[in-house]
Amino acid sequence: MNLTHDFSPTPEVDLASGKYVKIWHGPQHPGITGNMSLELTLCGDEIVNCKTHVGYLHRGFEKLMERRTYIQNFPLVCRIAVPEPTFNEYLYSAGIEDLAGIEVPELAKWLRCLNLELMRLGSFLMWLGGASGAFGMSTVYQWTVTHRDYILDLFEEMTGARIYHMYISPGGVRAPLPDGFKDRCLMVMKKVEKLLYEVETTVLNNAVFKKRAIGLGVISSDMVDAYGVTGPNQRAAGYARDTRKDSPYLVYEQLDFDVITATGSDAFDRTIVRYQEMHQCVSLIRQMLDRMPTDGAFHTPTPNVLHWKIPAGETYVKAECTRGEYGYYIETDGSEYVRRVHIRGPSYTHAIAVMEKLVIGANIADVAGLMVSLHTYPPEIER
Amino acid sequence: MKLKDVISPFYVWQRAFEKPYTNTKPIDTRPGADAYRGFHVNDIDKCVGCSSCQTICQNHAIDMVTTDKNSMPGDSGLRPRFDYGRCCWCALCVDICPSGSLHMSNEYAWVSDDPDSFRFTPGVDEKPWYQHEQGYHRDPNYNLLKLERAEMDMLSTEEGLKSFDEVVSGYNHEQAIAEADRCIECNICIATCPAHMDIPDYIKAIREQDLEEGLRILYKTNPFSATCGRICTHRCEDDCTISHLGKPLAIRWLKRYIIDQIPAENFARILQDSCEENGKKVAIVGAGPGGMSAAYYLRKQGYRVSVYEANKRAGGMLRYGVPTYRLPDDQLDKDIDYIISLGVTMHYETKVGIDIEFNTILDNNDAVFLSTGLNVPSNLRITGEEHPRVVSGLQVLFDTASGNNPNVGQKVAVIGGGNVAMDAARVSRRFGADVTVLYRRRLEDMPADPEEIKEATEEHCHFVTQAIPVKIVPADNPNQAIIHWGEAEMVDDGKGGRPRPILQDDKMHTETYDTIISAIGQSGDYSFLSESIRNDLSLKWHKFEVDDRQRTRIGNIFIGGDVANEVADAVSAIADGHNAAIGIHQYISEKV
Amino acid sequence: MIEALKQRLSEHFQLTNLTIKNAGLAFLWVEKHELEMLLRQLRDFEGYTHLSFIIASDHIEKNQFKLTYMLHNYDTKHDLGVHVDISRVNASMHSIHPLWAQAWTYQRELKEMYGIDFPESPRVDEDFCLEGWDDMPPMRRDFDTVKYCEEHFDDRDGRATEENRQTMKVNIYPERGE
Ligand SMILES: Cc1cc2nc3c(=O)[nH]c(=O)nc-3n(C[C@H](O)[C@H](O)[C@H](O)COP(=O)(O)OP(=O)(O)OC[C@H]3O[C@@H](n4cnc5c(N)ncnc54)[C@H](O)[C@@H]3O)c2cc1C
Ligand code: SF4
Ligand code: SF4
Repeated sequence: MNLTHDFSPTPEVDLASGKYVKIWHGPQHPGITGNMSLELTLCGDEIVNCKTHVGYLHRGFEKLMERRTYIQNFPLVCRIAVPEPTFNEYLYSAGIEDLAGIEVPELAKWLRCLNLELMRLGSFLMWLGGASGAFGMSTVYQWTVTHRDYILDLFEEMTGARIYHMYISPGGVRAPLPDGFKDRCLMVMKKVEKLLYEVETTVLNNAVFKKRAIGLGVISSDMVDAYGVTGPNQRAAGYARDTRKDSPYLVYEQLDFDVITATGSDAFDRTIVRYQEMHQCVSLIRQMLDRMPTDGAFHTPTPNVLHWKIPAGETYVKAECTRGEYGYYIETDGSEYVRRVHIRGPSYTHAIAVMEKLVIGANIADVAGLMVSLHTYPPEIER
Repeated sequence: MKLKDVISPFYVWQRAFEKPYTNTKPIDTRPGADAYRGFHVNDIDKCVGCSSCQTICQNHAIDMVTTDKNSMPGDSGLRPRFDYGRCCWCALCVDICPSGSLHMSNEYAWVSDDPDSFRFTPGVDEKPWYQHEQGYHRDPNYNLLKLERAEMDMLSTEEGLKSFDEVVSGYNHEQAIAEADRCIECNICIATCPAHMDIPDYIKAIREQDLEEGLRILYKTNPFSATCGRICTHRCEDDCTISHLGKPLAIRWLKRYIIDQIPAENFARILQDSCEENGKKVAIVGAGPGGMSAAYYLRKQGYRVSVYEANKRAGGMLRYGVPTYRLPDDQLDKDIDYIISLGVTMHYETKVGIDIEFNTILDNNDAVFLSTGLNVPSNLRITGEEHPRVVSGLQVLFDTASGNNPNVGQKVAVIGGGNVAMDAARVSRRFGADVTVLYRRRLEDMPADPEEIKEATEEHCHFVTQAIPVKIVPADNPNQAIIHWGEAEMVDDGKGGRPRPILQDDKMHTETYDTIISAIGQSGDYSFLSESIRNDLSLKWHKFEVDDRQRTRIGNIFIGGDVANEVADAVSAIADGHNAAIGIHQYISEKV
Repeated sequence: MIEALKQRLSEHFQLTNLTIKNAGLAFLWVEKHELEMLLRQLRDFEGYTHLSFIIASDHIEKNQFKLTYMLHNYDTKHDLGVHVDISRVNASMHSIHPLWAQAWTYQRELKEMYGIDFPESPRVDEDFCLEGWDDMPPMRRDFDTVKYCEEHFDDRDGRATEENRQTMKVNIYPERGE
């Protein structure tokens, strides 16, 4: 393997020649890819060079966390990835628990896992709408976002908030499931499943979508490790790698699921993988609702959070989020504050190195579709 | 391309006539979920202004502000004011709230064109959502606070009864750290402590394992920490903020932990009390905690301090009252010896008024501090109490402390319900007697410390409540006495006060005892003061009137301890001694 | 497994420390000049084909930056963090952009956020998140965010708070104690 990134400078562009044009794609987007921009150099409608620009969502989380106590970071981390806050909550807590030697009760593991899978489903629904929108099918966006709202309703019940749940806290979770949650959740799963079949009909079997997405943005299989590609982007390239299977956390070992792969490695196959993973979410959620314990402790008391000190150490914990490997590296120094937290989000490479590579030669009209097919969240790049 | 792929997109029409899931505010409103984290609600009467919500808020969204609540022991009077320009509705403040006063409603919509209106004090500023039943409440099984105390090792009851050895073992390292960890550093207890000790600071020193710093903090306000760490009435714990939902911090035992870990010979090095002579002289009458505390703080300021004490040894009631199973002599000595080591001149067995005239002392010193304590037992005021088998609790305890067996016999009645009664009863148990405590009111009216009552009960002292002694008559055996007592009925006093016991003549009992111990109170002996001084000093309910710095109407006389304060416990005497030292220093400095 | 790996690596490299966190995670330290070779070895011969991230943490008290290169082996499902301590003064490190295609982005970020230079790294001087930043690299421990905010932004009026201890002293026992 020796595939290096192509850093050749923009071809000598003589803008005055009229042959080239430079345009900014973003930071505001017609879609769900969030605020980042691509500085594109076009020749006709073909892209000859791309430079990504990030920083519009930089809030310095990693720095902020160094000045907040362990409990104070818990409401902060969810903000790092807006559409998928829960992974931050889980990984922050898991890292802290690892360093502080806290064992989480069984029920909390199930509740965390349920929360994460609901989150995955909600996040994929939003993405699916965005992907449809990017390929000109905004109607579907209305459907999926409505269905995501049903899931947010569930979160509201379960956690007390729709987006920033602040539910998974160091030691476990904050509350048990409310009465009747299981039935309502199953009802939503039914609705989502119906929707998925409709999406299959309208989007995945849509001639226009197929025409545009098949062959778009192919991630060659040797790019995968060279670029650190993970998640569905990697699985669509034929790699059966999924943290949930490979390094199982929470209760995944007790659940029944297969790693979903495809071979085309283009925008279309990535969509298919995600689509199937949504079905997988529904199945996992049903399995959990069926099997999880109904009572017991859901939180292990931590030392007094107002002056909680954690012995010096370091750890790296990771989980499979919708986009791939999401991880928290945490270093402690024995004080009441973390020494260093690093949040590893898959978009860091997907939206920059991979994007800059794939977009070359693409048609300007496909840039939005390509970007959305990589499923990127700029906030996790900038943190 | 398949035909199906061209046709299928038209399926979207299917949902064209579906109702949207959004709603049209303000026509429709959709209430938040039951546990929604909406706007804050604070039960202003339950809140104790501990500021924990402010401390935990990572957004600096909370200010503590003055409201019409007054500051009082256990309540700072401040209340949290929220800045919704900063709040993120994480509810950490709700989770930490140790009084359980704070929660959130499920209301989430608030529209106003005045940005400043989004700063409000829940419970004080009227808001429509206070009535909502739904909203986020901390789940009772989710606790950020530690509500249970670290276990304390104690002698078993049987072991305890066998000797006068100390019953409570004191915390070990792990227990102390665990207990210290529970503190939320709200500072509320400081106001309650009569000595206003820097409690959260020394608890922090334990957590940080800097016990030498802990010792320095203790001595800033209390040179009797080995003592107080054992027998203090620990009123701070009554007002501990954690006590609203759980067990208060074991503040007393944490204090003891610090002292127990540091050997007496290290005190001087750690405390570095310099005592630069200032050439002025102060005399102290009474070497109890009040007198010795004053001696410590005066000596530190460079005064030549002479202490006059009627007994053989210093310590006052701590030595001659409190039994050694609660306060071993060597622990009391640890406190006292350090004070004396600073260069305090002790005149033992020198009873002022008999061995030396009070006026002589007054004339030879720049100021005098009196802390002579209450050592005259109160009479039962019933016929026959002069019987030789009727003795005072103080006498029994004095004898015991002096190493003389009080010979209480096999069967003992203790009359009274205060700490002296409990001590006399438990001491008698240790001498092997069968003990019955007769108390005129109900168990819950007993002034004794609940722990003392509990331990006395465990040591098999029998409690007979609502029992009023009527008379004592000689028994056939001259070494016994017979008590006649009647059952009492509790009668409402009609003024909302505590009910009064009324004797029921038809429910009389008689019982023969080897010893009847009277422990119903004690008062001061002021005979060493001349009539004129006594009049000038002004006595009220047998106590001297003093101000916050123990000043009396006579400029150079300062008074404190049991003879001045209402509570009559050790730490109040210590605080009085400290304040007297400050008062005396002011007085002498101003005079110059 | 990891012990055997250590054995093999020790033949070629000076590994200064190895900590095994759990079955799936270990950290090892290597000297600055050996890093690139070591990573190459790990990638090409030991199966650590995936680079999760590169970060620095500021150990200002030791006047060092600790760099962490987090690698993953998909076959053994093992994460390996490789640490390099570098001096904080004129901090600089060899670029590993030829090894992994996303490395240059991390190096660009490290330059911006910590001031660590990677001389050969492409586009290393371009702004990453910050635009027109002229202060100290903000992720350094000695960059004080609060001070920066106080200097650059105003607080909104109308905020004032009181403190328990003082309030209670003034209201309850003004004349007692020290
Ligand atoms: C049995 C018993 C148990 C108690 N248990 C507790 C407890 O658990 N916790 C608690 O906080 N408090 C307890 N107390 C109360 C506590 O002991 C007193 O509040 C405290 O000792 C008062 O200190 P003081 O300095 O005012 O007086 P004292 O301790 O009474 O000291 C006064 C000293 O003055 C001396 N003296 C008096 N007159 C003269 C004179 N004319 N000339 C020279 N010397 C004189 C006395 O000999 C005595 O040594 C208890 C008291 C008793 C009696
Ligand atoms: S934490 Fe609770 S009791 Fe303390 S000030 Fe805040 S609202 Fe009041
Ligand atoms: S809800 Fe959170 S942000 Fe808001 S005041 Fe409470 S602790 Fe602060």
